Amino acid sequence: MKQALPAIGAVLVATVLQVGLAPYMAIGGVTPNFILLVVVTLALTTGPTEGAIAGFAGGLLFDLIGTGPVGAMALVLAVTGYLAGLLHEQMFAEGWLLPITVLAIAALSAEVAYGLMLILLGEGGTFWSSFFTKMLPAAVYNTALALLIYPWLARFLRNERPMKTFRRLA
Amino acid sequence: MRVQATEKPGPRPGWLILLVALSIVLITVWYRESDTGPLHRVRAGVQATSAPVSAAGEFVTRPVRGLFAWAGDLGVSRSQLEQLREQNRTLRVRVAELEEARLENARLRALVDIPQARELKAVGAHVIGRPTNSWEGVITIDRGSTDGIRAGMPVVGPQGLLGQTVAVSPGSARVRLITDQRSGVAAMVQRTRAEGVVRGSIDGDMSLDFVSVDRIVKKGDVVITSGMGGVYPKGLTIGEVIDVRRPANALYQEIDVEPAGSPARLEEVLVLVGEPPAVVPEGGE
Repeated sequence: MKQALPAIGAVLVATVLQVGLAPYMAIGGVTPNFILLVVVTLALTTGPTEGAIAGFAGGLLFDLIGTGPVGAMALVLAVTGYLAGLLHEQMFAEGWLLPITVLAIAALSAEVAYGLMLILLGEGGTFWSSFFTKMLPAAVYNTALALLIYPWLARFLRNERPMKTFRRLA
Repeated sequence: MRVQATEKPGPRPGWLILLVALSIVLITVWYRESDTGPLHRVRAGVQATSAPVSAAGEFVTRPVRGLFAWAGDLGVSRSQLEQLREQNRTLRVRVAELEEARLENARLRALVDIPQARELKAVGAHVIGRPTNSWEGVITIDRGSTDGIRAGMPVVGPQGLLGQTVAVSPGSARVRLITDQRSGVAAMVQRTRAEGVVRGSIDGDMSLDFVSVDRIVKKGDVVITSGMGGVYPKGLTIGEVIDVRRPANALYQEIDVEPAGSPARLEEVLVLVGEPPAVVPEGGE
């Protein structure tokens, strides 16, 4: 339980930022997704099961603070967290390129999956319109934010190994 | 081979299957339950809890947004200023003409004893929250059920219709903007009275659908609410026609509409609470 506290704290802080700060960081109608960044970072630093649980919890909070269907982002982030967590063993404290690449792919995949889900549920527009106006710009925006946030967040969430390289990066 | 005690367990797909199943159950319950169902109540509770955070974000970021707006306005050229002055002069003349017409209309109505179609009261509200994600066009206001607000009420800004309330808690309400892809408003072209439905889209653009190709619609025409459907009162400005296309062999025209008011810098709105609205909490009119 004690080990889970930083993860719970990170998801809650991300939710508060999503409500209080993210709307004012929107560029051209594209808002950063702090919850997604925290979930993928958590998955990369702790593993697939923890990633899936954090993804479900974070996604559910994302659904509840918005007006979309409840459960949609919970499903997307649970799967995203699990898949990102499978790469947990490949992550080394000394490297940052691989985690950022994974974050970029996860960000795009999560946005595409959520957009497809909205379309399937009859709450979205057409796919290509959504892809170019929401999914792709959101993935780029989240990846740019990940470059700034990941080193600090990973160091905070990982308690197994010291992150010497991140000390230099951060 | 003995596994060391410190080694972490491998992937456990059982958890993933459980969480995916739980998510699907949640989605199903969300669509199946009524507006007073447990998930809707939980969301209302979360909305009530998060409203102060939204308000704090709005308050804290206001100076920065003001700075950006000021910097953006610096780019206004002298020719644009002159254009705006000319437009202002024209509008002043137009307002005077319309005021005269309004007074004449009131006198004639009194003569023939026609009542006003709908008496509407308005409740003023501050905008305390903007869309929390890229997929929705929803703002949060600081008035809720304790102020007489209910789901489905029209919300207007200084330049025209903004949207309708979709989720209401005691101290706050969420307003789905007409530019949201889930919004639909019964509308008509003011000049020709051609009726259709204004729909939002994922990229925030609006279109006027279901206008027959034999009705004349031109660029610059003003689009207003038609009053059909009972949610929005007749005559609220929605926007202006910016493009009209008539594809060959099509039944309907493709009409793009620019919204009259942008909620980006909006700080105050009015909720029209005159009479019970048709309850359309999720999908618009």
